[in-house]
Amino acid sequence: MKCAETIETEIETPAALPANQVRLPMGLLGFEQIKDYVLLVNPAEAPFAWLQVEANVSLAFIVIDPFLVLPGYQPDIPQPDVAFIGLKEPNDALLLNIVTVHGPNRATVNLKGPIVINRLTHVGKQVILANASEYSVQHPLPVTENAV
Amino acid sequence: MLILSRKSGESIVIDGRIHVKIVRVEGDVVKVGIEAPSDVPVHRQEVYEEIQLSNQKALTRQSSPLPRLAGAPAQSESAVNRPLTRVARKPSLQNL
Repeated sequence: MKCAETIETEIETPAALPANQVRLPMGLLGFEQIKDYVLLVNPAEAPFAWLQVEANVSLAFIVIDPFLVLPGYQPDIPQPDVAFIGLKEPNDALLLNIVTVHGPNRATVNLKGPIVINRLTHVGKQVILANASEYSVQHPLPVTENAV
Repeated sequence: MLILSRKSGESIVIDGRIHVKIVRVEGDVVKVGIEAPSDVPVHRQEVYEEIQLSNQKALTRQSSPLPRLAGAPAQSESAVNRPLTRVARKPSLQNL
């Protein structure tokens, strides 16, 4: 018991990054060298948000809360990823899934590889779900014709 | 690259904890059984490639127009609207 207490106190939570800065130490798959992002949320653009490349503000990924798209989404995050991200409980995790816009009438979301971010440290990782085979990398979003 | 010949039913042990068994050979399809501890991720190579490709397609200019969603839920329901500050809906971390 004493031992457990000691371990508990030795593991310090790293200082959280400022505001909406997000650090992905492994980058994104295919973009391993880009590790620093800023999460931009504009209520007028809900339910979408932008994960902007910090070093190049003209580049960004469109992201969405996957539970809005698929309420029954059951992402099974592998244990090594849970440890890497430093998640102690499910509530500490923010999930963002990357949206691809294929054209004015077609957009999809990647449900196989969500970005899982620790809300306390702002450190995250794009994980491949243990149950990735249950989900599509191009899950269609219910896009309506642009009114404009 | 180490290349080994195995017959159906034979196995390979990696690091004393990962067992790879040739379950069956049918024509040009090999069925492989993998037993590994839960801290060892095992995926088909295609999954990585698929996500890489998807990320590359998704990278966009920030001025790109956003799609409009049919029946988009009220803004307040989105966990993204309270980013990194409040509690999100619970994902199931089955291994936690």
